[in-house]
Amino acid sequence: MIGLTIDGVAVEAEAGTTVLEAARAAGAEIPTLCFDERLAPFGACRVCLVGLADAPTPVASCTTPCRQGMVVDTRAPAARRVAGAVVELVLSELPEAPAEHTELAAVARQLGVGRPRWPGAVHPERADTRHPYLAFQHGLCISCGRCVRACDEIQGAFALTATGRGFSANVTAGIDAGFRDSACVSCGACADTCPTDAITEVSLLALAESATI
Amino acid sequence: MRDVRRVGARAPALDYGAGMSANLVELARRRGAAGAPTAVELLAAAAAERGALRDEDIRAVALRTGLPEATVHGVATFYDDLRAPRGRRHVRVCTGTACFAATGGAHVEQLAAGLGVAPGTRTEDGALSLGETVCLGFCHSSPAIRDGDTIDAGPGALERVLTGRTQASGEPPVRSILPSPVLTQPGDWSGLRSALTLHSAGDLLAEVREADLRGRGGAGFPAGRKWEFAATVPAQRRYVVANGDEGDPGSYIDKHLMERSPALLLEGMALAGFAIGAHEGFVLVRSEYPASKPALEAAADAARTAGLLGTDILGSGFDFDVTIVEGAGSYVVGEETALLACLQGLRGTVSARPPFPAERGLYGMPTVVNNVETLCSVPFIAQHGAGAYRALSPGESAGSKLVCFNERFARPGVVEVPFGITVRELCDEVAGGLAGGGALKAVQIGGPLGGILPAQLLDTPFDFAPLAAVGCMVGHGSIIGFDEATDMRALARHLLRFGADESCGKCFPCRIGLERAHAMVAARAPVDRARLEALLETLELGSLCAHGGGMPAPIRSLIAHFPQELGLA
Repeated sequence: MIGLTIDGVAVEAEAGTTVLEAARAAGAEIPTLCFDERLAPFGACRVCLVGLADAPTPVASCTTPCRQGMVVDTRAPAARRVAGAVVELVLSELPEAPAEHTELAAVARQLGVGRPRWPGAVHPERADTRHPYLAFQHGLCISCGRCVRACDEIQGAFALTATGRGFSANVTAGIDAGFRDSACVSCGACADTCPTDAITEVSLLALAESATI
Repeated sequence: MRDVRRVGARAPALDYGAGMSANLVELARRRGAAGAPTAVELLAAAAAERGALRDEDIRAVALRTGLPEATVHGVATFYDDLRAPRGRRHVRVCTGTACFAATGGAHVEQLAAGLGVAPGTRTEDGALSLGETVCLGFCHSSPAIRDGDTIDAGPGALERVLTGRTQASGEPPVRSILPSPVLTQPGDWSGLRSALTLHSAGDLLAEVREADLRGRGGAGFPAGRKWEFAATVPAQRRYVVANGDEGDPGSYIDKHLMERSPALLLEGMALAGFAIGAHEGFVLVRSEYPASKPALEAAADAARTAGLLGTDILGSGFDFDVTIVEGAGSYVVGEETALLACLQGLRGTVSARPPFPAERGLYGMPTVVNNVETLCSVPFIAQHGAGAYRALSPGESAGSKLVCFNERFARPGVVEVPFGITVRELCDEVAGGLAGGGALKAVQIGGPLGGILPAQLLDTPFDFAPLAAVGCMVGHGSIIGFDEATDMRALARHLLRFGADESCGKCFPCRIGLERAHAMVAARAPVDRARLEALLETLELGSLCAHGGGMPAPIRSLIAHFPQELGLA
C-alpha cells in the first residue's frame, strides 16, 4: 500500500490508484469533464488539477498515480483558478449555454464560473438526426473523448472517432456519415457518458420534451 | 489516532499511456510488428496520388491496416498532408518564423495573388493547388517555396516559382568553431566499432550517463537516465526511436544531420540499441523535408552492405536494424507520445505521462525516443569517453551544440558551438551580425516555445540555466534574428496563429486557449493585459504538453520587453 496525504487526511492506496480516485475516496470534491470511472483516464480536460507539495505546478489528478509520501492539496489556489478558467473557455466555445441538467452545467456551477472572459468563435451548429435512437449536435461537442472511448472500451464498436485538430477538433460517427451509416450498434453508451448533451438518446429526449408541454 | 482511508485501484490501469487506446494500439501492433505500412503512410500515398482522399480510400486503408473505418477517418482529418487538396502542380509556401522575419508574411500573399489560388485550395480544373507549410528548413535563405518536391528559397524564388522556373535552392554552409568538429563531420562508425569490441552494454550506458548528455530536442532530459529506464523495465522487446520531426520553425539542424550525416544518426541509434538491448529502430522524419527519408535509406542500405546494420553486426552477435518512416504534417508530433502515435499510424495527439515511453512506448514496449542531434552525439561518447565529451564545452553543460541562423544574418548556416558562449558572440561574431549591418531588435532561440531575447539581453550565455533565467531556452538551437523593421504585435500574431493551427486539440486549455489568445492579438483593439495574462497562465499551468505550456513564453517576453508595440491596455 502507498501512504499519502490528501487535504490533510491520511490515505492508504493500492499501487496503481490515481490521485483522483484516492482523493474522491477520501471525500474530496474534484470536478471533472473528460473522466468517466468506467473508462481509462484521458487527461484532456484539465479540470481535475490539484496541487502537490513537491511540484511547482498543478497536476491532473486523473492521470497521476499515487506515490508514497505525496502531499495533495485539492484546493490549491492555482489549480482551482486554472480549472475554473478552463471551464470558462469550454463555455465560450459553445453556440448556446449547456442545459442545466448536464454535467458541464453542474461543473460550471460547482466552480462558480461566470461569463467567459475570452469570448470568440464558437463551434458551427451541425446535427445528425437521421438515426432512430441517437442524435448528435456537433456544436455542443467539447472533444472530451468520452463517447469515443465508450464506443471503443465498453462496446468495442469503434463507430466514433475524434476528428480535426486544434479548435476545430470534434467527434464524428463513421466516415463522417452519421450514426446510421457507421458501425454503431445503438447501444447508447456514448449518449450515456456525454457531459453536454451533444449526443442524446432520441426517445428519452422526446419523452422529456412531451413532459414539459 | 487519525482516520486512515484505504483505497483500491478501480479505474482501468494506465496501460498504454493515458489517452492512447489500448485496443487501437494492439490493432496497429499486429500489422506494424510485421513491417506493414501504417495508416498514415497509406493515406499519405493515396492523397498524393489522387489529390484528395475519398471515402473509398479511407475504407481501403481500414481494410489493409485492420483499423476501424472511423479511426482511419480520424487520422485523415488530423495531418496537414491528408487534409489539403492537391492539384497536379502542388505548391507549398513556408509560413515559418524565419520567412516571417524576412518578409513579414508578404510572400504568402504575393504568391497566392500571382498563382491566382488561395492557400489551402486548388483550382477548379485540378491543375494547381497552394498549401501553407511550417517550415521547410531553408531558413538560411528565406522565403522558401516548395514546388512539387523542389524547394526554392531566397531572392528571386517567388518570381521563379510564378514563372514556372523553380530551381532547387542551395544547402546552408556548415562549420564548427570547436578545435575539432564532433557533430559537423560525417560519421565513420568508429564509435560503434569501439563499443562492440571494447565495451559491454552496461559500460556504454554508464558512459552516456557520465557524459551528462542532455536531450537536444528542447526538454533537455538526461539521455543516460532515459536509457537506463528503458533498459531495466522487464520486456520482451525494446525499441529505439529517433525523433526526426524537427518542426520548430527556424530550425534546420536535424535536417542537416539527417540529409548530410545520416550515417552518424544510424550509428547513434545502433549504439542506443546496444546499450538498452533493442534490436529495432525507427526514424520518424518530417514530410516537409523531402530529401531526408531517401538520404537515410541510402545510408542504411550502405550500412547493411558493410555489415554495420543487420544481424551479427561486425561479428559481435548484436543485431540491429532501422526503418525510416515519414510523417504527414503536424508540429505536435514532435512531442514523444504524439510521435509514437504517428509511428503507429494513429492521430498524432499527446498522451499524459507517466507512463513514459521509456517504460511503455511503441506497441506498449519500452522505447527510447531521442532527438536526432542527441543520438548523433553518442558515437563521439562511445569512442572518446564521457570526459572528452564534457570537455567540449567550458560552460556548465556538457558537449557541443549545433545552432542555426536565419537569413537576416550576414552568415547564416549551421554552426557547432560550445555551451557558455554568449548570445551576442553567436549573433555578432559567429553569424556576422545582421546582413546589411542594421541593429538586431531581438532574437528567438530554440523554436516557437522559446522566449524572445531583446537586444539589451544579448550578453546572456547560451546555456540551459542562464537562458531559462531570462524566460528563454536552448530548445532546438535555432536562432532567429529580427531586425528593427519587425512589428512585434505581428510577431505575436504570427506565433499564436502557428500555436493555434498546430494544437493537437486534445487538452482543453491548448485547444481553446490558443485560439482565444490569437484572436486577442489579431484584433485591431488594444490587448487587455490582465485578461491576456490570465489566459497565458491557464495555458502554462493547464496544458497537457509543452505546446500549450510553452507557447506563452514568447508572448510573455513581448509583454515584458515590447509592451508598447504589443498594444497592451
